[in-house]
Amino acid sequence: MSAVSEGRDPHGGSSSGPPDAWYFCLRILGGRYAFEAPLVTEVVRLGPLTRLPAAPAFLPGVFTHRGEVLPVLDLGQLAGQGSVTIRPSTRAAVVHCGPWKVAVVSDAVEGLVALPRRAIDPPPAESSGMAEFLSGVGRDRGGAIALLDLPRLMETARARAVPTGGGTA
Amino acid sequence: MAHDSELLMFQVGARVFASAVEDVIRIGHVRDVSPEELVEGTSLGNSFGGERGIVVADHANGTEATLVVDQVLGVRRVPAAEIRPLPAFAAAVLRTAAVAGLVLFDEVPTLLVDLPTLIRERRTAAA
Repeated sequence: MSAVSEGRDPHGGSSSGPPDAWYFCLRILGGRYAFEAPLVTEVVRLGPLTRLPAAPAFLPGVFTHRGEVLPVLDLGQLAGQGSVTIRPSTRAAVVHCGPWKVAVVSDAVEGLVALPRRAIDPPPAESSGMAEFLSGVGRDRGGAIALLDLPRLMETARARAVPTGGGTA
Repeated sequence: MAHDSELLMFQVGARVFASAVEDVIRIGHVRDVSPEELVEGTSLGNSFGGERGIVVADHANGTEATLVVDQVLGVRRVPAAEIRPLPAFAAAVLRTAAVAGLVLFDEVPTLLVDLPTLIRERRTAAA
């Protein structure tokens, strides 16, 4: 994993109060998004992608990493906000959610950030775009960080996929 | 001890796919097949106007069906260890059941296609 945020209290306040929560932060389509840190196992550089037939737009393909085939998840497409551009230098965070393991593609990887729990606000009331998948919104010296609810996100992706039967590549 | 698998390699459009040899009855030319037996426009995509056909048993109808392909590249023997299942997330969201897994050639995944399922899905969609 890459950069670790400096300090335990990004607001520069006292260390009293609830302990910090650790998140892993990615930049996606100009925004800062983060998963609970324990869900992220590593950061990888994408290899050549193999497209899958009849795949939803949020699944641009699969690739191999150390002999393991990993599916790539494009959160921008899932949220209807456009595609993350995939280049040879593109990196992805490998996340685990129950039986599922995916590589979430990003524009850039920030790395670990610590957010004081008291500084985490509830998600916005709107239920469109990426807001649908948020568990809260945190803030550090770099600005706001949208905290992603990975189980909800994965379940939504599964639910949006059309049942088996026909389709075109 | 795991055995090697024999896979038929073929091309539809610009992409290369693999299938189990035992699913294939024979390889032919599309001009030798009646139009109603030809299968095109599957989830593998459209051919470039291919003239080769992979003949597969259509168990649902007790007949044969011919998948139109652009090239038949030959048969490759592949160690079982190089054949991987479709990742669980991909299997959960794909709109086809015709991807049986992935074959790794030099670490790059190639789709392993379940030809009978591919044919069945196409015919169901066209019905």
